[in-house]
Amino acid sequence: MPVLECKGLTKRFGRATALEDVSLTIEPGRIVGLLGPNGSGKTTLIKLANGLLTPEGGYIAVCGAAPGRESHGQVSYLPERTAIPTWMTARQLLDFYGDFYQDFRREAAEEMLDHLGILPQQTIKQMSKGTREKVQLVMVMSRAAKLYLLDEPIGGVDPATRDYILSTIIGNYNPEAAVVISTHLIADVEKVLDEVIFINQGHVVLQSTVDDIREEKGMSVDELFREVFKC
Amino acid sequence: MLRKLLKHEFRATGRIMLPIYLILLVTAVGSNLAGRGMMDGRSEALNILGVLIIMAFGFAICGALLMAFVLMIQRFYKNLLQDEGYLMFTLPVSVHQHIWSKLIVSAVWFIATVLAIIAASLVVAYQGGFLRELLDLLRYFLEGLQKLKISEAFNGTIYLVEFAILMFLSLVAFSLQFYAALAAGHSQANHKMLWSVAWFFGMQFVLQFGGSLLMVGLNKLDLYDRLFSHWDPTPAVAIHVGLLMAIGFLILYSAIFYAITTFFLKKHLNLE
Amino acid sequence: MQWQFSNDAPIYTQLIQQVKVGIVTGAFPPGERLPSVRDMATEAGVNPNTMQRALAELERDGLVYSLRTAGRFVTEDNTMINAAKRSLAQRHVKTFLEAMLGLGFQKEEIISLITQEFGEEDGDHASA
Repeated sequence: MPVLECKGLTKRFGRATALEDVSLTIEPGRIVGLLGPNGSGKTTLIKLANGLLTPEGGYIAVCGAAPGRESHGQVSYLPERTAIPTWMTARQLLDFYGDFYQDFRREAAEEMLDHLGILPQQTIKQMSKGTREKVQLVMVMSRAAKLYLLDEPIGGVDPATRDYILSTIIGNYNPEAAVVISTHLIADVEKVLDEVIFINQGHVVLQSTVDDIREEKGMSVDELFREVFKC
Repeated sequence: MLRKLLKHEFRATGRIMLPIYLILLVTAVGSNLAGRGMMDGRSEALNILGVLIIMAFGFAICGALLMAFVLMIQRFYKNLLQDEGYLMFTLPVSVHQHIWSKLIVSAVWFIATVLAIIAASLVVAYQGGFLRELLDLLRYFLEGLQKLKISEAFNGTIYLVEFAILMFLSLVAFSLQFYAALAAGHSQANHKMLWSVAWFFGMQFVLQFGGSLLMVGLNKLDLYDRLFSHWDPTPAVAIHVGLLMAIGFLILYSAIFYAITTFFLKKHLNLE
Repeated sequence: MQWQFSNDAPIYTQLIQQVKVGIVTGAFPPGERLPSVRDMATEAGVNPNTMQRALAELERDGLVYSLRTAGRFVTEDNTMINAAKRSLAQRHVKTFLEAMLGLGFQKEEIISLITQEFGEEDGDHASA
């Protein structure tokens, strides 16, 4: 059973169409790049999969069910902004995740926070922007979820942090799960992806594996992206 | 899951309300001491200090009430409709549980704040023999109760219960009106706060207008005359009827606000 | 181990090459156990499935073998390692020759250039 499936999915905001007739399937055990320029509909698709938006048409299913309370227990979501309450201490945040998610691996999270040099009594407010993003990612990757939806995990961070984030994703995801990484920084994530989905102006324009693209076109996904989305 | 939501909601709000209650207590004790000092009237400087402390107590009372109100709105707005909403609405809990957790916690803080203010006022009034006077008062009250007829005692108890329910429902309806306005306003793409304010006053207007129409309609039907021509309730029963009608209206209001809130949070969530 | 990737070839074929280099140069010594797929993938910064695919290919070639419970090991067969070394060398020579022929050099010129290069190196050693 696919972990994420869309058929004819359409989302409008007033008169503006954010997604139109999007159909795609993501199977377990894959790391998938959702690639497209800014404003192409990546975030809208991820929000729909999280039930944060309601589609105008078509159908979307996570692990076979419409997004909702049940799917939330199986999806680990990294929003493109800091959503963790900043008044909480690291320990309170661990309590929070542990209370609500049965699949939360508290020890793994504690180890990663310790590795980052974060003290349990430190509040999120006291941390730098980069550290907050790392903490949020640690929480998300410490869950043994079926589907990880990571919206721009490497946007606006320095190269060292980017490497940390990517190795945390590779090192922690469960092989039976699927990971979806949305980004426009393709060169940075290309090597960690199995598959890519190109999305432009609300349409899916390509779904293929990274090595197929390299083999057939003799160019990297990054180069192909630049060609497809040339202005 | 509601229990866990409540736990974390109390954690989030307690860190603000509990220190305020502590300030209330400290200024109350200060005011008590200041009151005694001023009665002695020995030093000008001490008098000024005393006035300042009593003023601080006054501010603490206003501050506590204001903060309970601000928190009611702010927790719903900031925790559900701002950035934290991304976390909260992807938890494996339902929208109903979210609303109830916010509602219950803010009602508890309103009630706790009133109780804290009463307790602090007792602290201010406390002096030697105060406790005995208070106990005496309580004894007179209990003796008075014993002299009541059974029907009076029964009615009195029911009045109290009805009144308590009325107060509680007022809190609930009051909070839900804000929730509904915020949820509806924030489904818009732009000017979310402006829309929320518009929704708040819009709902206020519609409900008052609807309520008035209902009254006029009831008058037209001569319902009162018809009802009371066959039925002549005692004043005691009339009060019950009045209270129960008020309760009924509040339940209706709350249900409308609740429905609006859930509709927008479920179907038209539009986080920035 | 340094992992580096070019843009023009599939990542798994590049991984095969680089693990081969590791085995030939002794970064992964004969008979030694290889790190887990996940650890190797994390270190190389690549997808674990891709690393898995590359190692499976190497296993088919016989350069590594797996024991059901203990993991993957580098072969102890030196002839096989030497053959891999040779094939890597041939690849380098081939690319080199293609480039030189492309520049318009003839066989004799290329050989003399190489001998000269080695001669100079020997000369440097002699004067030092």
